[in-house]
Amino acid sequence: MTAVQYTDEQTDALQEIINIAMGQAVASLAGILDVRVGLSVPHVHLVQIHELIDTIQEITGASDEITIVSQAFYSHLKGEVLIIFEEHGWKDLAGLMGYEPPPGNIQQEQELLLDVANIVSGACLNGIANQLGTDMSYTPPSVIPDMSRMKNALVSNNASWTHALLVEVNFSLEHINFKSHLLILMTEDTIEILSTTLDDLLESI
Amino acid sequence: MATPVLVVDDSAMSRKLIISALPPQWEVDVRQASNGTEAIEAYRAGKADIIFLDLTMPVMDGFEVLETLRKEDLNTFVIVVSADYQPKSVERALALGAMAFIQKPVNPDKISKVLREFGIL
Repeated sequence: MTAVQYTDEQTDALQEIINIAMGQAVASLAGILDVRVGLSVPHVHLVQIHELIDTIQEITGASDEITIVSQAFYSHLKGEVLIIFEEHGWKDLAGLMGYEPPPGNIQQEQELLLDVANIVSGACLNGIANQLGTDMSYTPPSVIPDMSRMKNALVSNNASWTHALLVEVNFSLEHINFKSHLLILMTEDTIEILSTTLDDLLESI
Repeated sequence: MATPVLVVDDSAMSRKLIISALPPQWEVDVRQASNGTEAIEAYRAGKADIIFLDLTMPVMDGFEVLETLRKEDLNTFVIVVSADYQPKSVERALALGAMAFIQKPVNPDKISKVLREFGIL
């Protein structure tokens, strides 16, 4: 199956929808942390499934010092949000979130990152759904222990896909060395559904 | 005489939404820019009395545009139109010289309210 190629107008519209949704997500996070959250311009790529892990590694760098949190969404649109946290800086983040983790407490680190992922991913998905006039349901976030397990998870979950739509946006905390990548993977069916939704939206302007 | 207006946003859809949300009775001469560098060039090529400015853009973002306008003492009225509405972003934009802040998604009511507030309409 050949995935639908988006036009420049559709890509632009989707990037702007993600920009607005992420604005809502970082506003939620900033409200809790009382720091400014920096946000990058979103990028949309159509990727082949067999290239997905390499593409994600290109985006995040080759470092193993990352924690990946995954959250699936479903209903009209289906896919998966991955938030990839770079390891350094999480203790500063813990302080802002009111955690007092002892050094090396991996369980508390994961709990903290799940909390952050829940705030950001939930607000982002709701923001997308609201703008597209649809509902969105999602699973609780879970930690994928490392990149090799992510590969297994994605390959087994997405065995029937040949392509995925990958949306990439980065966020960071001002004055704190903490960076994260938010990736939204959408299924092949969703690429087609979204194409029609974006055309309807563009026609309505 | 038409008011020169510059709409600065990296998204063509967003620029279109802003332009279509301008009050129909407001006589304007609208130009567009897709990043901060283009915005400064467009300003210099033909002065913009009012700039609708996005914050999150490639090449040169909205904060950098505000810093440049201030540093070069360029006289224009900037209304920020952004999805980044965190209090610290709004404060920073206003501190850098923006006169008003409109949260995306934009609509005609939000724009008219700001224009009336400053006696532009």
